[in-house]
Amino acid sequence: MSHQLGRVVSEILHRYFGELVQQVGNDLFIYGSKPISMIVKTTGLPRKQVIESLRTLLKFDLASFEPSVHEVVADYKLLPDNVLLLIRYPRYLLQIKSKYGTEAELLVEELLQQATSTATGLLVTVATKNKDDKEKNITILKLRDTFVSLATAGYIQQAPVADTKEGSSDVPSLVPVATIVPDLDTRQLLHAMTTGSLADIKDNIYWKVNYDRFHQDFRDDIMVKAMTRRIDDNAGELMRLLLQQMYLSSAAWAAESNPTPALDIREAVRRAADKSLLSQHVDHYLKVLEENGAGFVRRVGDAGGGQLVVCGRRAAGRLLEAVLDHVVTERLGSNAARIFRLIRAKKYIEEDDIQKHAMLPNKECKELTYKLLEEHFISVQPMRKAASAGGMAKAIYLYHIKTHDVAHTAQELCYRALHNCLRRAAHERNKHARLRDKQRRVRTIVHGMRMRGEPQQNIDDVEETLTPPELALLKDVEKRLKQLSAAELELDRNLFILNWYFMYSK
Amino acid sequence: MSSNKNDDPISDKILNIAKKNPKGISDKDIIAAVPDLSSAELVAAINKLLQQGVFDLFNQGGSLIYRLKAQTSKQAVKGADNEEKVVYNLIEEAGNKGIWIRDIRVRSNLANTQLTKVLKSLESKKVIKAVKCVNASKKKVYMLYNLEPDRSISGGAWYQDQDFESEFVDILNRQCLRFLQQRADKIKNNPKGPILGRTQSFATAVEVQKYITDLGISNVKLEVEDVVTILNTLVYDGKAESNVYPDGSKVYRAIESLIPPPGLVQVPCGVCPLVFKCCSTGLVTPQDCKYMDEWLEN
Repeated sequence: MSHQLGRVVSEILHRYFGELVQQVGNDLFIYGSKPISMIVKTTGLPRKQVIESLRTLLKFDLASFEPSVHEVVADYKLLPDNVLLLIRYPRYLLQIKSKYGTEAELLVEELLQQATSTATGLLVTVATKNKDDKEKNITILKLRDTFVSLATAGYIQQAPVADTKEGSSDVPSLVPVATIVPDLDTRQLLHAMTTGSLADIKDNIYWKVNYDRFHQDFRDDIMVKAMTRRIDDNAGELMRLLLQQMYLSSAAWAAESNPTPALDIREAVRRAADKSLLSQHVDHYLKVLEENGAGFVRRVGDAGGGQLVVCGRRAAGRLLEAVLDHVVTERLGSNAARIFRLIRAKKYIEEDDIQKHAMLPNKECKELTYKLLEEHFISVQPMRKAASAGGMAKAIYLYHIKTHDVAHTAQELCYRALHNCLRRAAHERNKHARLRDKQRRVRTIVHGMRMRGEPQQNIDDVEETLTPPELALLKDVEKRLKQLSAAELELDRNLFILNWYFMYSK
Repeated sequence: MSSNKNDDPISDKILNIAKKNPKGISDKDIIAAVPDLSSAELVAAINKLLQQGVFDLFNQGGSLIYRLKAQTSKQAVKGADNEEKVVYNLIEEAGNKGIWIRDIRVRSNLANTQLTKVLKSLESKKVIKAVKCVNASKKKVYMLYNLEPDRSISGGAWYQDQDFESEFVDILNRQCLRFLQQRADKIKNNPKGPILGRTQSFATAVEVQKYITDLGISNVKLEVEDVVTILNTLVYDGKAESNVYPDGSKVYRAIESLIPPPGLVQVPCGVCPLVFKCCSTGLVTPQDCKYMDEWLEN
């Protein structure tokens, strides 16, 4: 909960929900949890607008509430981690599209936009929206099947419901419910499609996107890619199979999975038999993965042909180290990165020894070490001999790395960078708002004219209201915004690894 | 041995005992060895030997100890005066680690000016030499002329006149990496299985040393341990990993980072020197950032 996080969250809220929500969000971020009347007082907004903003925040699960000490009013609290997820939406869509196809993408997109929705409501909306799109050929039956498979795979889940138990206070509390894969009546759906009204269907189960399931996918992807880079494609494939086996027996984010017998892995490899090289050398690959795979996999026993464990905690640690290495390399140069790694490898090391091992000129080495210290990548521990008299006793300075602290440094940097990207994008949008508005209007008009079948001459006339310099400028702005949003996604990926590391250190 | 020149049987005997006891002998030892000796004869013999410079005289716990001088020192300081002898002995004791001038002064009890004179005269005779220490550039140490300075003093192959040759190290570092990278791909989809592939992608320090020697980029002869130091810098660069073979020899393999450059270093803020001064308002803001402008231009 740092100042930088507050700035990022504020920018994100501004982009997605506008100024009012941003103000309320800021207020909540600064003060922690507080009731509505207090928010009204500090923000100076009308009560109605505050309530409206809070409703938005609660709907998208960006804030939570709980009964205050008086038990009659609720205290509201912002959930900054969930706000950060807003910029991850494009990645969710890409992931689901590559796994389940276009229908799934449409469903998830709609669900993300609505935050929560009933199954039938969602299906009918998506089907109606894409009714005219001949290319995609979306039918409600296909959508229903996709919905069921998404629910089965856990990408969507039932939204928590209000606790209606006796004796609870005036403020309801939300309790999560186990997801039951729905059985949707085809005939009812088709009927609703034709009539266009949902009034006949009694469906009061609400659904929402299960972010955690997506995050598991992202995590797996990172691990598999890392192994592919370190060893080869087959090792990556093997890592994927190992992770699949892990899901069968352990919690998804376990620091260390329950042991999986190598026999099961061999069986799984045989079933996925398109990799002939992998199935030929499963045992060898397991051994190499274990010995050269950066400690992602560990052998715990020899029973049943070997027992393997996937070490999520260590993997996160290693990936964090890789991130930090990159950051140090880019910020202070490759020689600084060498010193950084050297200190990490030796745990505690004296300045003289750094020079000896890093093979750098004395002066440069000292300079880089102090720079690293200045930017909080390394720490120093002075060791003074207590009993010695006078100033003659030389203190020993031991350099070391506090991984957790450095990870926080990196996180702060990420927040700063993300804030700057968001801010810059907002600035670019504001600066060229008039032009972008004009372009949008021209497009709508042209679209309308095309629909009405007006002559090409007239359409051209309208299009020419945008002059060539304007068009060039628009293209330039478009490119900048694209680059900025790509950067935001990359930063989000970076933050994902950092958060994964922090998950275990709590 | 010079004792052969002594026709005197008493001196011979004393020398023999002294040779057997390199730590030195006392009066009692001599009397025990040569019992039929009057004290006057003994004193005369010892004085003679001391004059010849065969013995060093020490005072240990109140009794006098005679210790045989090493032969070389006796020859080397021929024609030198007493101060030079003392200083020479101190320098000789220090071996190839050398001795600092202040330590000589303290231990020899000579005045500063006198000591400098002595050292100069020894140096001009090419008996000793001054060597600059790599760790502390102003510190000079003295050692015998014919000795090769220790690695801790000269810094080994990486130093030329106590200047660290970082370019040389860089070149070697790059060549080693290239050698390892030539092999690294063998682990990828090796038809003979990954273990064999891994073995092929490993290189021992000896192999690397041979490669470097064959390249002929170094006019200094590089030992295996020098190459190991270079290979270790590659490990610290994150470009290689090391492993140990069953026979205990260290092997190296080129690797890639686990992840491609993360988002933080792809944006200008990740490498920006002003990032900690960047605020929403003020002189440094993301809106008017020059670095961002440049980044967005291309």
